[in-house]
Amino acid sequence: MKESRLMLIQYATAVVAVVLVSVHLIMQGVIYPYSTAISFSNMLSVYRNGFYAIFLEALLVIVLVHGFNGVRIILHELRQSAPWTRWVDAGTVVAIVAAVAYGTRTIILAIFGGVAG
Amino acid sequence: MSDVRLVVQRFDPFRDEKPRLVEYAVPRREGMTVLDALLYARDYLDHSIGLRFSCRQASCGSCGMKINGRPRLACYTQVDELSTEKVLAQPMDNFAIIKDLVTDLESFFAKHRELTPHLVRADTQEVEHPTAEFLMSPEELERVLQFTYCIKCGLCTSSCPTVATDSKFPGPQAMAQAYRYTVDVRDEGGDLRLAALDDAHGIWRCHFAGSCSAVCPKGVDPALGIQLLKRHVMSGKAPRKQGEGAKVWSPPAQKQ
Repeated sequence: MKESRLMLIQYATAVVAVVLVSVHLIMQGVIYPYSTAISFSNMLSVYRNGFYAIFLEALLVIVLVHGFNGVRIILHELRQSAPWTRWVDAGTVVAIVAAVAYGTRTIILAIFGGVAG
Repeated sequence: MSDVRLVVQRFDPFRDEKPRLVEYAVPRREGMTVLDALLYARDYLDHSIGLRFSCRQASCGSCGMKINGRPRLACYTQVDELSTEKVLAQPMDNFAIIKDLVTDLESFFAKHRELTPHLVRADTQEVEHPTAEFLMSPEELERVLQFTYCIKCGLCTSSCPTVATDSKFPGPQAMAQAYRYTVDVRDEGGDLRLAALDDAHGIWRCHFAGSCSAVCPKGVDPALGIQLLKRHVMSGKAPRKQGEGAKVWSPPAQKQ
């Protein structure tokens, strides 16, 4: 993928992340008191609400893509050999897929069982 | 008037293990530039000081160096304006040292050339054997004018934090010139430059520190050019394609 496309993704995910994280913080700290919001039972109910589940999945994907793409940029500036560039690009994709899969697994387990409420 | 305490960083890569600072006492005179002080030191105190200079009037860009920690032209910096007890002259950062204050600008010029810093047109016959002028309005000239003042001294590149870490990064001078030719209405080669810049080590590695613009002795704003060029790289579209450049224009013949 062209670097300009990757940077467009970086800028777009940054803007979307600001919105999603703001909503998330408002939900966790303003609408619900923080101590209640992070309780285990409340977390389960959040995951089992369809809207929040989709919201959290979107937050997970957006923040991970933005974060790992940012790390990729820093690593590219660290060294400049062609193998390094290839490994960093491939490693970024693997890291994003793995982290999204692990986070999604948590949401799916909370929704469809495997975690007692 | 007291002497100028001129401190020069000396380093010969073939003889020295590491750079050392040597102090020279140079008789102060009104209007003395750092280059004047260095030339006095070289002519009367130590013939072995290595420095590069030519025009002595901020036109050639040869005497770029770090003076009191900031990239400057030695010929364009008066000793009195520094207002410091000592004047410290060091080679520019981000360049290999050839000797003392002389740095190797080979990669700097190579990166400049890689971004096609000249007008590219389909009508090569007209370019090589012009019959008239290419039409350009004063407003269109204004858009590129400040970037034509670049003297390729390397000060912007020596101050760039990305150049310090990424050896493949073209640097502010090359990219500002890429912008200068890409938006020039007479040019049709924008696609070449945009493709070269859309790389993992290309234009996107500029984080807009702005130090390039802060140190330019000619008042050029390379950081501005780079940000404006990013817009074209993001869209992937050059302002003009082949055959769309400014048309040839002949002034009407004057009556006798």
